[in-house]
Amino acid sequence: MARLFKKLKYPGSWSLFRSDDRLLLILFAIAVGICSGLAALVLNRSLETMLEWLHHYRTYWWAIFLPAAGAALSSLFLEKIVNEGAGHGVPEVIYAVSRYGGLLRLRSSFSRLISSCLTIGSGGSAGPEAPVVMSGAAIGSNIAQAFSLNDRQRVALVGCGAAGAIAAIFNAPISGMVFAIEVILGEWSTMNIIPIAIAAVAGTEVSRLLKGNQIAFAHRDFNIHFNDILACVGLAICCALASILLTRALRSIHHVSKGVALPKWIRAAIGGSMVGAIGYFLPYALGEGYHAIRTAIDGEFSGGLVLVTVIALVKILTTSLTLGSGGSGGIFAPCLVIGAFVGLSFHRFLAAVWSSALWVNEGCFALLGMAGLISGILQAPLTGIFLIIEITGGYGVILPLIVVSAISTTLCHYLEPASFYLKDLVEQGQLLRPGTDARVLTDLSIQELLETDCICVHPNMRLADFIGIVKSSHRNYFPVEDQENRQFVGMIHLDDIRPYLFDPAMHHAVLTGQLMNTHVKTVSLHDDLSEVLQKMDEGRIFSMPVVSDNRFLGMISKATLLDQYRKELMVQTGRF
Amino acid sequence: MAQKLLHIFRNTPLGRETLLQSIYFCQRMGVLPTVYIPEFTKFLMYFENEVVQVDLDPSYLNDPDTAVTHAEQLLQKAKIKPELFTPKNFTASTLPDIPTSFEFMCCPRSISDLSSKIGLGYIGPRVRRIIQAARFPVLITSPVYKPWKNIAVFFGGSANAINALRLGIRIAKVTGMHLDIYTQVGKNTPSEYRAIVQEKGLEKPLESILGQWTFFEKGRFEDNLYEVPHDALVVLGAYGHGIIKDIMFGSMMEKIQSTISNNLLIAGPKYTMIG
Repeated sequence: MARLFKKLKYPGSWSLFRSDDRLLLILFAIAVGICSGLAALVLNRSLETMLEWLHHYRTYWWAIFLPAAGAALSSLFLEKIVNEGAGHGVPEVIYAVSRYGGLLRLRSSFSRLISSCLTIGSGGSAGPEAPVVMSGAAIGSNIAQAFSLNDRQRVALVGCGAAGAIAAIFNAPISGMVFAIEVILGEWSTMNIIPIAIAAVAGTEVSRLLKGNQIAFAHRDFNIHFNDILACVGLAICCALASILLTRALRSIHHVSKGVALPKWIRAAIGGSMVGAIGYFLPYALGEGYHAIRTAIDGEFSGGLVLVTVIALVKILTTSLTLGSGGSGGIFAPCLVIGAFVGLSFHRFLAAVWSSALWVNEGCFALLGMAGLISGILQAPLTGIFLIIEITGGYGVILPLIVVSAISTTLCHYLEPASFYLKDLVEQGQLLRPGTDARVLTDLSIQELLETDCICVHPNMRLADFIGIVKSSHRNYFPVEDQENRQFVGMIHLDDIRPYLFDPAMHHAVLTGQLMNTHVKTVSLHDDLSEVLQKMDEGRIFSMPVVSDNRFLGMISKATLLDQYRKELMVQTGRF
Repeated sequence: MAQKLLHIFRNTPLGRETLLQSIYFCQRMGVLPTVYIPEFTKFLMYFENEVVQVDLDPSYLNDPDTAVTHAEQLLQKAKIKPELFTPKNFTASTLPDIPTSFEFMCCPRSISDLSSKIGLGYIGPRVRRIIQAARFPVLITSPVYKPWKNIAVFFGGSANAINALRLGIRIAKVTGMHLDIYTQVGKNTPSEYRAIVQEKGLEKPLESILGQWTFFEKGRFEDNLYEVPHDALVVLGAYGHGIIKDIMFGSMMEKIQSTISNNLLIAGPKYTMIG
């Protein structure tokens, strides 16, 4: 019985999967895809129920406090009940993938679902997509942990969870797959693509089975002309500017909120009440805003140029207030709303300035604006393109879609080199994509590079005795330790004894203590390898002593580092 | 190579006793203590195949102005150069990551609950998860600073007990103290237990350090524990392999931790001998 349990716990050791684990990953991908799809649907249903229930109360004046109550409850739930660090979660998933082989906490598989339901359901301006990505990724990670899968397999299942969740919530398998690879893993390898694709299919099937095969924003056919494609350049610029504005507003409000000396839940409530007050006058600014998108894509939005521009700007403000002050949710849905209204504004501007020109229906520009915003803020053009194609069910807009996504991503990258999800990680030096210099160096430790075949000498040793040691050693560096307490006192390099080497009279007159260099740059066992390399480069040093608590532990050299670096790089990139 | 012990400092009288115990362990073992003075009530430990979130009892954040001074005073008094740990990596802004590359870790019986709850028979869930996931053994201290004079290993013949015995031998050799083995005779006879030790090649290392091997052939295990000296460092393995044993601490382990108040050094199922 015990043996059976052990076998079940370590499926990677089964003979079927030992030589090639692709089949194993596919089986787990199906399970992860189904679970993350279910998680996405649970959140979706809960949100629908909550929004429907609260809809009747929206006309009351006190409804302006509903988003405040939701945000406060969401913050309290995260802080006091599940003890999570707040946030919408995607950066945490990327961080775990980058640094810890995709290890995520079990509580993350449900915490953000509940907290985002409270925030968005009460009217906060946020989307459910990032919470379901967090949830799906945590489900994948914990399934991998339960079955003792290795780091690479775990990372693949984290990607599967994210793909399954996005695929289920949007009924969009390709978007789920592309999002997981482009944004979460940042690595296009066949080993990952296959299970992620399978998980995306599983997630989508769960969604279709329980919710029906619905296209979120179905639209009529658009008759796109060449002048529309040209105009897309202008639209892409507007989308890029809106993306940058949203990124900066979110971060600014987050920093301002962090500086306020009040409990987190009160800060979230303040942000929520501001959102509620704005939403009382402009209901489009509340919630996930899918209804507004549908109206915009159908070309049935009745407001003028000023109103649609104001809605886009106000949505940026309410999203920043909701998420920046501590509410829980994602930026996907708000980006779609903002993008749709940026598209509408731009179309109305064109129609006003060049009224004689024949423009495509404004719904098309709303749709292109959504792609521009998503591509810009995530700096993930493929995700933007595929998501819009799948959620609108139209391939006819592919050409302008590519133009808008590509230009918007490029401009955003020029103005903000890191995407919204990656910005904090890049600033903290924590974005370690596989195969990059930082990642390879992080995965190596000084301990494994330590060269311990050095012969220690003591300061009172005569040069003659030291020469005897040099003869039996193949190293150029010799650490000097105090004879009594074995404390590290300095280093001798072969060059240091060269002047005395051919003068036998000095062999019995000079002591090693007189020759040693006492101002040696040392490194400690827990130093970062990138810092060690920097020290070596600055001092033009090829080898450094590793010292801990004044004890010499060994040497670290560039040659060994390069050797291990190459091996690690081959492991990470799968090239042997 | 200098091995390190991770100590999470609690700026309270109980925390002082725990740090004194860590210092004593480090002095005897030639290990360097690395002290973490928490700034947040939670932190994460990323192990090989598991991430453990430790939600600290708020008393860990008591009077931060004096915490560093108190910890440094205790270390300096023991002539140990204070090495305070500052987290470099954060999973979230208030959620630091604590490395798991240490050779030992010191914990009180619970780090997530109020100290008033800590007593015999209780080892907190976080401490249990650390033991379960860690490659290093965990030193669970007695409530009051209590130097130990010898090593007591509980040996029941399992793979974890072998690990614990290896750890005990290592400590006995480094500290120069003698090691006693205690076995509650169960399915095997005393000679069979000796044969297991012989088979694992531990007979020779034990020769010079083994004080006595006591076999409890009668009575309840809990009652027999009275024979264990009060000033012994008790070394034992926890958790087994298999679904149930992975979840349960181990019945012997539970009985020991419920009955005796000695310092316990627990090697979990992932414990790997270094050096």
